[in-house]
Formats: sequence, C-alpha cells, structure tokens
Amino acid sequence: MGLMDRIGARSPWILHFDTGSCNGCDLEVWALLTPRYDVERFGGVNRANPKQADILLITGPVTKKCEDRLRNLYEQVPEPKLVMACGNCASTGAPFHNCYNVCQGVDKVIPVDVYVPGCAARPEALIDGFVKALSLWEERSKAAREARE
Amino acid sequence: MVLAEIAVLLIGPLLVGLSMGLDRKLTARLQNRRGPPLLQPFYDIAKLLSKRPQMLGDLQGLFALFCVAFQAVAFGLFAFGGDLVVAFFVSSMGAVFLVLGAYSAPSPYSHLGANRELLALLAYEPVLFMVIMAVGINGSFLISEVPPGLLERIPLALVALLPVLVILLEKSPYDVPAAHQELATGPYVEYSGPYLALLELARWYQLAFVYGIATLFIWGPRPAGDVALKLLLAFALLFAAILIDNTTARLTRRRMVLFTLTAGVGLIALNLIVLYLAGVI
Repeated sequence: MGLMDRIGARSPWILHFDTGSCNGCDLEVWALLTPRYDVERFGGVNRANPKQADILLITGPVTKKCEDRLRNLYEQVPEPKLVMACGNCASTGAPFHNCYNVCQGVDKVIPVDVYVPGCAARPEALIDGFVKALSLWEERSKAAREARE
Repeated sequence: MVLAEIAVLLIGPLLVGLSMGLDRKLTARLQNRRGPPLLQPFYDIAKLLSKRPQMLGDLQGLFALFCVAFQAVAFGLFAFGGDLVVAFFVSSMGAVFLVLGAYSAPSPYSHLGANRELLALLAYEPVLFMVIMAVGINGSFLISEVPPGLLERIPLALVALLPVLVILLEKSPYDVPAAHQELATGPYVEYSGPYLALLELARWYQLAFVYGIATLFIWGPRPAGDVALKLLLAFALLFAAILIDNTTARLTRRRMVLFTLTAGVGLIALNLIVLYLAGVI
C-alpha cells in the first residue's frame, strides 16, 4: 500500500477555481498547461471536476459570494486532497484585506497546504509550489487510508 | 492453463495502457511539450484506486462493475478464439452499462454525456458490426478460424475501423460524448476514485477488443514476426488517430453520425460489392 501512496503523487489532477480574482493569476495558472511550462510532465491534468480532482489551485481573494461555493467544491473532492493558494490575494487577501465583501484569503474558508506569493504568481513559482504540495501527498494518502480503515 | 488465460486477460489491457501512455507522450511531442512519463496511465489508475470511494447511489457503482465485467468477457471471448459476433454484442452491452451508469446520477452533465454516448454508439457500432460481418463473410465468425489474407481482400474495412477508433479513443473530431470543453468528460463526470478506475479499465478492455479486430487483418510468417506485425498495425492505427486528433477541431454530433454511417458503412459495402462482382464471395 506504501507504493500506492507514493504513486498517487505522480498523477495530480487539477481543479482550478477562481474565487474573485482579477484573472491575473488565472492566466498564469492556465500558462502551466501550455507547452512552455507543461505541468503534464508531472502528470498534472486539468479535470475541471471536483470529484476527480486531487489538487485545488485557488486564485483570488475569497469573496463572500464565493465562500460557500469554495467550501462546497472542497467537500466534493475525495480524500486525499491538496490545496494551493495561488497569488497574494488567495494567500492573504492582499489589497482587499479588511474589505467588506471578502474573507481575506483561502485559509479563512478551507485548509491550505501551500501558499504561492506573487502578483500575479509567476508560473515558475506555481510549479515550485505544485511540486512542494505533491511532496505532502504520501503522508496525506496514508492518513486518508488509515481514516477509512 | 488457467494461469495462461488470466495472463492473456491481463496482457490485453496492459498493452492498451501502454499505448495510452504512448498516445499522451506523442500528443505532447506533437504540441512541442515534453509530456507525461510513458507509464502515466498506470499511475493514474493507481492514484484513483487509492482515493476515497464516493458514490451518488448503489446503482452507479454496480453499473461500473457490470461495464468492466462485460468488456473483459468480450475481450476474453476474442482472445480465446471465441465467436466475434457474440464478443461484439457483449462489448456493446458493456458500453450500454456505461450509459446506464451515467443516467443513474442526477446530474445534467452526466445525462447529456449519456445521450451523446448513445449517439456515439449509434455512430460506431454499425461500422464495427459491418467490419465483423466482412471478416466472417466466407463462413465462420470463430476467431480461431479466421482465414489469413484479410488485408488483401477487405482493405477498406480496416480503413473504416479508423473513425471507430477515433470515437473510442475520445479524440477530435469525434470526441463528442466526453467533450472536455463543455461537458467535463460527459458520462464519466459523476464518477470518481476507484469507480472511475473501473470505467477506465473497461475502456482499455474495449479498446483491446477493437485493436484485436484490427490485428486479424495481418499475419506474419513466424509467431514472433506475427506478433510484431500485429503490434505495428495497431500502432499505425493509433498514430493515425493521434495525427487526426492534433490536426482537427471537434465536429458536431450530427456530423459524427453522418460520417460514420455514410463513409464508414459505405466503404465496407463498396469493398464487399467489388468482391462480389469479382466472384470472390
């Protein structure tokens, strides 16, 4: 079973969700899938489906409207799962800190594993965060299996 | 003996899995990317199996199980020299269970995907059936009794298999049921984790069956040469499908059905008419 936990990290399927971003970070996330950055060499595929996703790439400060939707999506992802906050807004809320309509960062709504800073987050930084998140996969997978048993 | 049979049942999907990895690698290279490792489809399956099972109802999982069981039986019938027509109908039944599984989830995407999957069935099944009819027209549908030299007699049937393969591999221009752009994988959309792995395995068995039909067309001199030629033919078909995928955009579902039912069925009919006029059949 240890092998299964390790192999899982080589097939991270992506769900990208925009919680109110200016689209700057979104474009950089999409750039990951292009020939230049080609995140598929790590096995990453954009599934656009929470039920089949393993790693959530969240961009933007979480607006109040998006709060429930984000939680809903997170709960639909079966364990083991990872969450990446992409960009300054997703990490802390950045310029929208204390704004009346935002929750200030993804971690106020769902647990976050990796924060990638930047405005917008550079694709190189995103790949770095992506690989760092995957290093957590094995223990996450083991924990999820033990919780099931 | 039983062990050998189990080995054959495993080797089929294993080879198809490898071909899927090759497909992703080649597609990536055609798009000037590095692409995933060759064993990526197996990593995906292992990952899916280690995820938490999650279902929308008992029926969904049951249909996935039936789907993979029927496809495996169809491939088994083929691999052990059974009847091609029976294998074809068993495989179709497997495809129908995929549709039923998609209908069993209360989700508009899933239902739309199921509708389109039915349409895809309508598009490729008649062609596949005609190919099988053409293969067995001289007497027997038993695979162990298929005569050599099919390629010289019915070359157009092999050509007609290509659009069938394009549909089954979910490639442009006929990736109508999965439609990643607007349906997010259509009939598979409500499946996740181990059940999605089952459906993927079912797809591999179905593809193994269809590749198997293609390999009937070619015979090598010695066993080693025979296997090499058959693998080469399957690879040639796959490569043609990849080229088509990377040079076309998706067509509408109507165009898919129209093309396969006219060009696909027409090609085979033309081939059979020529054979009939030449007095071969």
